[in-house]
Amino acid sequence: MLLLLTALVAVSLVSLLIGAGSVGPGRAIALLSGAQDSEAHFIVWELRAPRTLIGIVVGMALGVAGALLQAVARNPLAEPGLLGVSAGAAFAVALALVLGASAATLRISVAQLGALMGCVCVLSVARFRGVGNDPIRLVLAGAAFSGLLASLTSLILLYDQRAADEIRFWVIGSLAGRRLDDLLSVLPSMLVASIIVLLIARPLAALALGERVASGLGHHPNLIRWLVVACVALLVGAATAIAGPIAFVGLVVPFVARAFAGPDIRRTLWFCLPIGPLMVLSADIVSRVVVAPSELPLGVLTALCGAPVLIAVVRARRLPML
Amino acid sequence: MLAQITSLAFARPKRGRLSMAAALFNVLFISALGVSAAHARTLETAFGDVEIEGTPERVVTLYEGALDAAVAAGVKPLGAVTSRGGDNVARYIEAHLGDDRPAIMGVVREINIEAVLAQQPDLILAPAQLADEQYQLLSRIAPTVVPPTQPLAPDNWKAEARLYGEALNRQAAIDDAIAAVEQRAAEVSQTVDEAGVAGSTFLIRWMPGGPMVMSENLFSAGLLAQAGLDVQDAGLVGERGVHSDVLSLENLSQVDGDWLFLATLNEDGQAALESAKQSSAFTRLNVVQQERVVPVDGQLWTSANGPLAAQAILDEIEAALLP
Repeated sequence: MLLLLTALVAVSLVSLLIGAGSVGPGRAIALLSGAQDSEAHFIVWELRAPRTLIGIVVGMALGVAGALLQAVARNPLAEPGLLGVSAGAAFAVALALVLGASAATLRISVAQLGALMGCVCVLSVARFRGVGNDPIRLVLAGAAFSGLLASLTSLILLYDQRAADEIRFWVIGSLAGRRLDDLLSVLPSMLVASIIVLLIARPLAALALGERVASGLGHHPNLIRWLVVACVALLVGAATAIAGPIAFVGLVVPFVARAFAGPDIRRTLWFCLPIGPLMVLSADIVSRVVVAPSELPLGVLTALCGAPVLIAVVRARRLPML
Repeated sequence: MLAQITSLAFARPKRGRLSMAAALFNVLFISALGVSAAHARTLETAFGDVEIEGTPERVVTLYEGALDAAVAAGVKPLGAVTSRGGDNVARYIEAHLGDDRPAIMGVVREINIEAVLAQQPDLILAPAQLADEQYQLLSRIAPTVVPPTQPLAPDNWKAEARLYGEALNRQAAIDDAIAAVEQRAAEVSQTVDEAGVAGSTFLIRWMPGGPMVMSENLFSAGLLAQAGLDVQDAGLVGERGVHSDVLSLENLSQVDGDWLFLATLNEDGQAALESAKQSSAFTRLNVVQQERVVPVDGQLWTSANGPLAAQAILDEIEAALLP
């Protein structure tokens, strides 16, 4: 854990030092050690610092949401991005934008509502006979659902091309140009979600032992499931509202976290907190550098890192059962 | 007639007999219309020489520059493609069209061949980058004029407009329109020079993640240059590209010149300016602090082309630079 936290601090620092612009690590370090440089000051503190903070929060939210969704779906491949939760949020926002919404607060609740719908759809699919027992079929169902929502979002994009510039952001996520205000406006719902997670971590761990055991210990499996779904919707909706849909973070992060923490969901959730930001920030740093002076969208990079992990998990002879 | 149209509609390339028959019908149809006129001419197009006789009456334009040239030459096309980002022709051209609007033939990259067919055109004016398959279909409906492709250059529109004008048998009208643009540009250039407001200029489109820098070879960039401004793209746009990728906000200072023209596909350019101003990276630019940002209509500035568009852009340049 200490190692992970040190790595997170290091990556955050690198995230302040490296960018697509002319202010390189040298100038940034000089600035941090007290040099007067207004250009560097602006780029480091007004552009890179907010996106680093946003990256940390988004990484935490997506990592925890992935771990929760996997625990409740009992499926190591259940990932908000893959299963259409992010796509649901993005679609809802695109729809709201076309219908004339613009207020930042409205956008967040809309994204969370869309994420909730996506969650419910996916989990109801997971409860179909047979599908829930086969992790890969769930992912297939989720991919189909994601594809449907993404095509609907593209349809909106075609229908109203004037809004296209604004909506394109909602097809593939990015941290570029996001402001601290955006982050502040999602913090309340993040806090609510964190409190719920703290409350349900124990019952969720009991649920992993089986429904009967959980009931015997005095928990209510259905209530827990619904709370988890609400939590995932809050987290993914908030993350999508600030950074757009970012896939695979919810898959890779719990996967790595389990390697550190073992099967206990409570330990896994704690480990997701540093690992999520680590992944998002690293991907974001790479996205700034590879095509400078432009930037790649973050969603492209996380998919590049995440897809091999998905293949590795699927190819493993035995899928870890949760 | 109906039989002819259906045979055309079902004609596919590489289906010998049917398409031969269609082409034959087509030739008969065109020559039947052209009996009264004698003036035959051969145009050099991207797909070889095209023979056109007489003065075409039923014209379909599949390119905004062609629509512009046709209207400038006094022809009201029956069909036209939409402006980029819009669902109708560009707003600036609507003023010249009066009440009769052309039917919409799709967007420039996705032409609705059946809609073209429904207009029964006797001349099709197409964009320079028309795909071969599209040409094969369109040229069966009517003589199709595709300007020979050249690399993107700010003056392309003149040669294209002259070619369209020749196809329309209205060379003189097009020459007049082009001469009028050149004269107007010279006037604007002189007043800009006298006012001493010339300087380095960037033309960008604002996206939520940052700006896209438009090429200095763009039509409207050429007019800015003719008006005496020093248009730059900071080497960010490739040789053939129309615009750069979305520039990182960290590199925004690269577009900090004396003037910044901010194009948007929205009707309300002011709204785009407001949204750009939410970014502190934008508001700290010198050009923004000196209030030398000019929001312009992207339909006119980054999509349109032709002598009428040139006049409209020159008007906007003059209004922006000389308040």
